[in-house]
Amino acid sequence: MILCPNCQHEEIAGAIFCSSCGTQLLMPKTSKTHEIHTSETKFDSVQVPPLRTTPQIRLSTWASLHMIESGQFVSLADRDEFTLGRVSEGQPIMPDVDLTAFNAYANGVSRLHCVIKKANRKASVMDLGSSNGTYLNGVRLPTHVETPINHGDVIALGKLKIQVLIDQTPDE
Amino acid sequence: MESPNYYSILGIPRDASQEDIRKAFFDAARRLHPDTNIAPGDTEFFIGANEAYEVLSDVKKRAIYDAGLAPDRPVHLPVAQRIIFSRNNLVNMQDPQLVYALLEFSPSLENLNNLPSPPLNICLLIDRSTSMKGANLDIVKATAKQILRRLRPQDIFSLVTFSDRAETIIPSTQNGDLFKLEARIQMLQTSGGTEIFNGLIAAFTEVKRSFKSTIVNHIILLTDGRTYGDENQCLELADQAIKEGIGISGLGIGSDWNDSFLDELARRTGGSSFYVSHPHDIQQLLMEKFDHLGQIYAEDITIEFQKIKNIELNYAFRLQPELGSLSLESPLHLGPILRNGCLTLLLEFLVSSTSSVNVIKLFDGQVKLRISSQSNPVSSFAMQLTRPVSMTTNKPEPPPNEIIQALSQLSFYKMQEQAQLEVAAGNYDQASNRLQRLATNLLEQGNRELARTVLLEAEHIKEKQTYSLEGHKRIKYGTRALLLPGNGGKLP
Repeated sequence: MILCPNCQHEEIAGAIFCSSCGTQLLMPKTSKTHEIHTSETKFDSVQVPPLRTTPQIRLSTWASLHMIESGQFVSLADRDEFTLGRVSEGQPIMPDVDLTAFNAYANGVSRLHCVIKKANRKASVMDLGSSNGTYLNGVRLPTHVETPINHGDVIALGKLKIQVLIDQTPDE
Repeated sequence: MESPNYYSILGIPRDASQEDIRKAFFDAARRLHPDTNIAPGDTEFFIGANEAYEVLSDVKKRAIYDAGLAPDRPVHLPVAQRIIFSRNNLVNMQDPQLVYALLEFSPSLENLNNLPSPPLNICLLIDRSTSMKGANLDIVKATAKQILRRLRPQDIFSLVTFSDRAETIIPSTQNGDLFKLEARIQMLQTSGGTEIFNGLIAAFTEVKRSFKSTIVNHIILLTDGRTYGDENQCLELADQAIKEGIGISGLGIGSDWNDSFLDELARRTGGSSFYVSHPHDIQQLLMEKFDHLGQIYAEDITIEFQKIKNIELNYAFRLQPELGSLSLESPLHLGPILRNGCLTLLLEFLVSSTSSVNVIKLFDGQVKLRISSQSNPVSSFAMQLTRPVSMTTNKPEPPPNEIIQALSQLSFYKMQEQAQLEVAAGNYDQASNRLQRLATNLLEQGNRELARTVLLEAEHIKEKQTYSLEGHKRIKYGTRALLLPGNGGKLP
């Protein structure tokens, strides 16, 4: 017997998906989240470089993700909730923001790593049980707890550092 | 090519039992009897089968014949097989364990290039009950005419309508006058109720009239309603149809038709049923079905299998070419293999005890099939699935990607199946909770639309203690559509 880590449903040995909640119980050979050592994540030395490009801001954009390493921007618009992670072949998980292009695998980003939300004009971040954790300004966040974030904060998904730029203009 | 011998004529292996020989002969006789068969060559073939049976069914004559027969050469199978297991070995233990097998049959190339595309003998069986009035019937008519125009000279077409009774609008016709036939279709009007059996038997008669074993014989049923009281007769007719080499597919339009009935009807002949949520989609689905039939390489793939002690076939699902769950009893009617694709199945076995053996047999079956456009039956071949049993319990090795991929999407379909069973058993809260979890998983996958439908249905079940007709079909066929290659669960 095996226990589903998500819903504690008992499954017969050899089951690959939980029959009760659909959670995947056995992972494929490849694309396991790359484990990194926390010591590699040094926050004291984070130097956020000056913006190399101007973020293209659409009207409904309420926040932009500044990918510190590459200098690129990802804007969050139209919806109030975005999951961050990386798409991996053979997996049904589709994060709203796919970080594959930003070296997500090598940086230890989980397939479904964290979620950034906006509620009542406050932005927050919540770790979704990622392998290597989500850090806010260098402090590891507890899993499944929403933590408010402010303009200019740096979050790290494993080793992948992202500065969150939040739209400060008041709503019409 | 091997010169035919009595075994290859009947399509049986050299070590066939008397029972196998008898069965193979009756199968051939039913399909090829001169009274029912008009295809050139079939009668000669029937005589050959007769001769073969006379010799092989007599043990003494068979021994003499066998002695004079050239040694059995390895037969070139007309299909290639690929089998992937979810795990390399089972573990020796008393507890039950699961193992999955992904089976893939595809045309072996050598045969493919030599064969012409098989002619079609199809019957459109159209529901013209009052509820079809308006867009539904208009689009069905337009599509029927489109199909008429696409027929090749060698194709045979018939059209039967039904309401309270059946009417043969176009009797089985080859190379008919297009103008006249179109006019007949144009005249169709709605009235009356839905009695499928009457229609089905008329369609069956039309297809049988032009039946040949070397062509694709098929009935496509379109309905938007429920038939009452004659379901069992319909299912019996389906069993008879497949015995005689005629397949059935079903298209259900709107929300009122009986999906479990149509699924079962099609499943018995190796076909599938499809859900048409909007009249606009009738045309696309029907044309797709028609194109599929023209692409058939081998037909009526059937696996007969023996029950094995301590092994249960828990679940069987066809992933290609048409999605659908399969019966768990022998024989499995699997439908066709298309020229440009494969027939893919996913089987789940429950091993209740391994009782300290080195190798365990999961499946012991015999695969039969018919190559379209060839009269000679193809020798059936054995398919056995075995797994070694390891004495030590290791950490389970990761399953192959193909299996995970198939199962990850299938798990959604299975969850809604579970919810359906729970509603049927009166466990409404459980069903509602399960659907909520399903919605969460769909959201995670970015499938917002289907997730919303599922959530609404979870509410509906909580309040009304039953599925809504439409929601039920949307969820069932929506989660099934997730399994289509490159599909995000959108209904066609």
